[in-house]
Amino acid sequence: MPDFSLTPEQESLRDLARKFARTEMAPHAAECDRASRFPEEIYRKAFDLGLLNLNLPTEYGGSGLGLFDQCLIVEELAYGCGGMTTTVIAHCLALAPILLDGSPEQKERFLKPIGAEYRLAAFALTEPSGGSDPGSMRTLARRDGDGYVLSGEKCFISNAPQASLFVVFANTDPSQRHKGVTAFVVPRSANGVTVGPDDEKMGHRASSTAAIRFDDVRVPASDRLGPEGGGFSLAMRTLDHTRTPIGALATGIAQAALDHAASYSLKRETFGKPISEHQAIQIKLANMAQAVQAARLLTWRAAWLIDRGQKGTLESSIAKCFASDAAFAVADEAIQTFGGYGYMREYPVEKLLRDAKLTQIYEGANEIQRIVIARELLRGYG
Amino acid sequence: MEIVVCVKPVPDAETRLRTAADGSTLDIEAVKFVLTGYDESAVEQALLLKEANPGSKVHVVSAGPPPRTEEVLRASLALGCDLATWVEMPPGVAPDPVSAARALARAVAAVPHELVLCGKNAGDDEAGVVAGALAELLGVPDYSAVLDLRWDAAASRLRFQRSTEAGVEKWEAPLPCVVALQQAWNDPRTAKLPAILKSRRLPIAKVPPEAAIPATGTTRPTKFELPPPRTGAKLIEFKTPEEAAQKLVKVLKEDAKVFP
Ligand SMILES: Cc1cc2nc3c(=O)[nH]c(=O)nc-3n(C[C@H](O)[C@H](O)[C@H](O)COP(=O)(O)OP(=O)(O)OC[C@H]3O[C@@H](n4cnc5c(N)ncnc54)[C@H](O)[C@@H]3O)c2cc1C
Repeated sequence: MPDFSLTPEQESLRDLARKFARTEMAPHAAECDRASRFPEEIYRKAFDLGLLNLNLPTEYGGSGLGLFDQCLIVEELAYGCGGMTTTVIAHCLALAPILLDGSPEQKERFLKPIGAEYRLAAFALTEPSGGSDPGSMRTLARRDGDGYVLSGEKCFISNAPQASLFVVFANTDPSQRHKGVTAFVVPRSANGVTVGPDDEKMGHRASSTAAIRFDDVRVPASDRLGPEGGGFSLAMRTLDHTRTPIGALATGIAQAALDHAASYSLKRETFGKPISEHQAIQIKLANMAQAVQAARLLTWRAAWLIDRGQKGTLESSIAKCFASDAAFAVADEAIQTFGGYGYMREYPVEKLLRDAKLTQIYEGANEIQRIVIARELLRGYG
Repeated sequence: MEIVVCVKPVPDAETRLRTAADGSTLDIEAVKFVLTGYDESAVEQALLLKEANPGSKVHVVSAGPPPRTEEVLRASLALGCDLATWVEMPPGVAPDPVSAARALARAVAAVPHELVLCGKNAGDDEAGVVAGALAELLGVPDYSAVLDLRWDAAASRLRFQRSTEAGVEKWEAPLPCVVALQQAWNDPRTAKLPAILKSRRLPIAKVPPEAAIPATGTTRPTKFELPPPRTGAKLIEFKTPEEAAQKLVKVLKEDAKVFP
């Protein structure tokens, strides 16, 4: 029998994240959004409480959570601030390839320092020439003696301005297209690494995003993750693990939008009664509640399957795609419920729409998710 | 130092409370029980004393029904308490203050205890009875409304302050004793995620309640009602202090008629 109740342990993890989101993150969300400020002090506190290294195993000093428990936490954090949560999940995204294909020696060398003190990592896959088609990447890794020389440019890389290490995907053999993609761990301090200015974004303005240029950066072979040509598969396996938390992040934004809309509807009066008594508003709230619950349950199911050792490509794509579309639609309806006030910066819901938008784009745009969903789906027919 | 902290599961102030059908209890269906203000301060104080006095142990004790009592004990373990004892009451039975003191006294007497810490009051019934009754049953003195508790090892004395209406008193006292702490003079720590996970796997010693303690206790609530919803409040919305003042004066003059 399926069981949708959380264990007491999961409830206490969720409560910790909830308290942190509501007392440490939410009070600063509007200010960081307005000023596009990266609140390092909040990320440091998250590190101290074990809310940063969610997927890092305990032997490296992390919290060592399964995907389901990560999703519980990510949803709560996103309820407090979507942008701050992006910093957390982009960091976990960068740890995942090291966990998947890193040798024991590499894990010890790269992950121990991350567990020991506050440091951020970044995952650098996207290039200016196109994020949806990583096989066409132009960043090259040329064999040179006992190592490689990297040259090229990555863009839209979350945490790039602060990260101490980057997981970089580069092509060791462009003639092989995606079969030539190889993954490397590159320290920020390496010669020839230049991080561009922080991008001015529509939402998630408490997170940082920038381009990274590699000008003949020497990388020893010992910092290559997995075999030459194994990078594309590694990136895809990584995203299979990290797509579901985007569903959780979107669910958190959607829940916040619903909560704001419902409480506002009880207070705001028009035509002599609270707008919650107008059926048009009730129908909005009912639709929003359905979307939120469906998003959460799809996310939970994808996470649960992956924790049981399944690949979960179909389910995680469905969860990410559905939850992000739901978050955008629910935030939109929340603004509509607030009327003109919803459009004002002074009220919290317009930020939710801007934040929800990103969840439809990053970690595989929803068009790509639908391609994946259809491909996986049709496999079961032909 | 052997420190014992007594804690009580109290409804989370953020949950919406409702009376049960019988009219004399709380509908606990949707209530989350947590460690609250005074008890959090007591646990924090115990942990600070332990940190300042290496070799000390903190033993947390609670008397109450499952599952709420286990939850506050685990929350205390996650914060850093070393050992936990649960006087397990039957499901749904929350002891009244005197029964709680008797149950706790038996549990405390059975373990090493030099300093026993309690919250000054429980966060829900605010009875403020347990610490005094516990001291009486243990045959040791008790001090209430205490803040800033320190151990002076050289003098073998506790040094602390008591906040009274007349001001702050400075005290010193020998062990053993019971100390009831004032709320939140310290900033209670938050349990870290790995500690929360670990606390789920730590053992909790269970002891049955003394048969002589009637489940219904020595006192019994007869009626429980929520305060009537407040009416008559008027919210003044404003952008500038000047606007707030103008609107307030208008309300005081025209609606409340406080001024002509
Ligand atoms: C704030 C932010 C943070 C980010 N963080 C990171 C990060 O940390 N690391 C990282 O590597 N990347 C990151 N990205 C990049 C992100 O993953 C990409 O933007 C995304 O994958 C889309 O790539 P693109 O922007 O190049 O769009 P394109 O690939 O140019 O796509 C443009 C449009 O065409 C659609 N499209 C493309 N191909 C197809 C197709 N075959 N069929 C149908 N439709 C198609 C897309 O869905 C999209 O709507 C981030 C992006 C943003 C905005």
